[in-house]
Amino acid sequence: MTSLPTTTVGSFPKPPYLLEARRKVSRKQMEPARLRELERRATEEWIRRQEEIGLDILVDGEMYRGDMVAFFADQMDGFEIAGLVRSYGNRYYPKPAVVGPVGRRGPITVEWFRFAQGLTSRPVKGMLTGPYTIAEWSFNEHYPTRRELVLELARAIHDEAVDLAQAGARYIQIDEPAIHTRPDEDFELATEAMEIVTRGLSAYTITHVCYGDVPRIYPAMLRLAVNQIDLALKNEDFALLETFRSPRFTKDIGAGVIDAHSHRVETPEEVADGIRRTLRVIPPTQVYVSPDCGLKTRTVDEAVQKLAAMVEGTRIVRKELAA
Amino acid sequence: MKTTVVGSYPKIPDPPAPGRWRTSVEKLQRGEITPADLRRVEDEVTEEVLREQDEAGIEIPTDGQIRWGDGLTYFARGLEGFAIDGLQRYFDTNVYYRQPVATGEVGWRGPISVADYAFAAARSAHPVKPVVTGPFTLALLSRDEFYGNLDQLVMALATALNRELRALVEAGAPLVQVDEPGLLLRRDAFPLVRRAMGVLWDGVAARRALYTYFGHIDGLYPQVLDLPIDILGLDFVAGPRNWEVLRRSPFTKALGLGVLDARNTRMETPEGVAAACRRAAEIVPAESLYVGPSAGLEFLPRRVARRKLEVLVAGVRRAREGAA
Repeated sequence: MTSLPTTTVGSFPKPPYLLEARRKVSRKQMEPARLRELERRATEEWIRRQEEIGLDILVDGEMYRGDMVAFFADQMDGFEIAGLVRSYGNRYYPKPAVVGPVGRRGPITVEWFRFAQGLTSRPVKGMLTGPYTIAEWSFNEHYPTRRELVLELARAIHDEAVDLAQAGARYIQIDEPAIHTRPDEDFELATEAMEIVTRGLSAYTITHVCYGDVPRIYPAMLRLAVNQIDLALKNEDFALLETFRSPRFTKDIGAGVIDAHSHRVETPEEVADGIRRTLRVIPPTQVYVSPDCGLKTRTVDEAVQKLAAMVEGTRIVRKELAA
Repeated sequence: MKTTVVGSYPKIPDPPAPGRWRTSVEKLQRGEITPADLRRVEDEVTEEVLREQDEAGIEIPTDGQIRWGDGLTYFARGLEGFAIDGLQRYFDTNVYYRQPVATGEVGWRGPISVADYAFAAARSAHPVKPVVTGPFTLALLSRDEFYGNLDQLVMALATALNRELRALVEAGAPLVQVDEPGLLLRRDAFPLVRRAMGVLWDGVAARRALYTYFGHIDGLYPQVLDLPIDILGLDFVAGPRNWEVLRRSPFTKALGLGVLDARNTRMETPEGVAAACRRAAEIVPAESLYVGPSAGLEFLPRRVARRKLEVLVAGVRRAREGAA
């Protein structure tokens, strides 16, 4: 692979026709099969766009997912959706409740992975939500302790990861945005869970962590059983890099150089500057370039422009490294 | 023994009922309605939420904090000296708030919550309890770009919020609640909190309630009893250790008994609530108990929140009968 490989965190904005179709299906005005067709079309559009932009490691864009936890809960045993809960502003999410023993009924993400990978010769990442985050962002009515729930989920997500690897996924990402919710109380548990998830996998593994107090889990997070930790650097103006100077960052980093939650499109030079700042702390062989977070809250145009700037900015730095 | 709530209530009903507040915010963002239109919707939702609390049998309701974006910006936007920045996680929840940034001298420029309180109070048969986010929590969760030290920001906020509390009492509030969950993150800052509380409650002629939640007060007890307050609200769900802590020294205040889990859909039973009330009555006289959820109910879907209040009321009734 080229130096400074470019990738994204997972989600892309759904095109307006897909949002409309999802609304219609929820009002029973459209057949779910028709929605599936549109999801495939939108997925293919995103694969083409990523190729055109020149990204190195692609994602399927999650056109068929609503919420990152509910998507898994919906397809697993032991969950029901308790209702809508507000996360901020007027954003609500369908929060699952664990009401019985949790487990996988069958593969959850494999079919979509196969579909997306079948559209391109570039590698597509398998995308999973991690056990700690699924547990933390669900109500727990069944298990006496969070630990039992998290470890049971870890075994289920491990099985899913194994299936993805068998289906050909060379990169598997396990998102754990909630991993530092209770750093003192639970970080060991989250670490233990990640070991279970990635045990014996031949694929290159990534975890994405965002929001909250990352310095609180540093350097402990370097013990997470993954090859790469993907982090939001841009929205805190790369302040995290100070934390990573000592002790040094021993894993690969997915360096977030694009703000996923602002409308403003970064310039290539701004991206290049962010990468250069990262390279002052972490050697280029350990650096992957990515946005801070999933781009699903941006418009399609904003996302495309931001990613084009990211790839262009990465090329600037690659040239400097080659010189 | 009284039944009460800690503060927030889910703004939208469970599907398929339409989430009017949510769609109205979307419409406002698209410029299809005016802020006055949204305010009318919030009026209606507030009335609905007061009705639900009344029907459940809650004796001291709140307005459900329907107009609050979050507990920080609702006050910070109304004060002098704050700008509002990006999203931050609220404690160990999956709820986010926009972070206030102190960019200048903090001051009270006029009532912030009084009109909302008066609206609710006029529409409830019960005494409505206004809630104000405390100076310490507000300071701790904000970013300070002006004062350069936490003490000064906290004390400036205490002075400003004292005016707000007085304005609420002037508007008729018989009981005012201040929330300080931040204290449990920084037990070491208790001396500062003690000073702030002196300023905050100065001249506030009403029942004064201070609520903490998301943990226990080990390390703060019995010192908290020195604070100039009448009611201390505690979370016995996230902080079961509070049971043991309160036994270490005579409890001299009224107790806000947070026994229903506001952060989990697992349903309590009336028997369990009654047992907690009886246990608390060994520490505090029953007439000094304010029984409620562990925190604001907006962490739950509406139907679960409502059901929990019904269980609460049934449990308290049972405890009263047992005591009689």
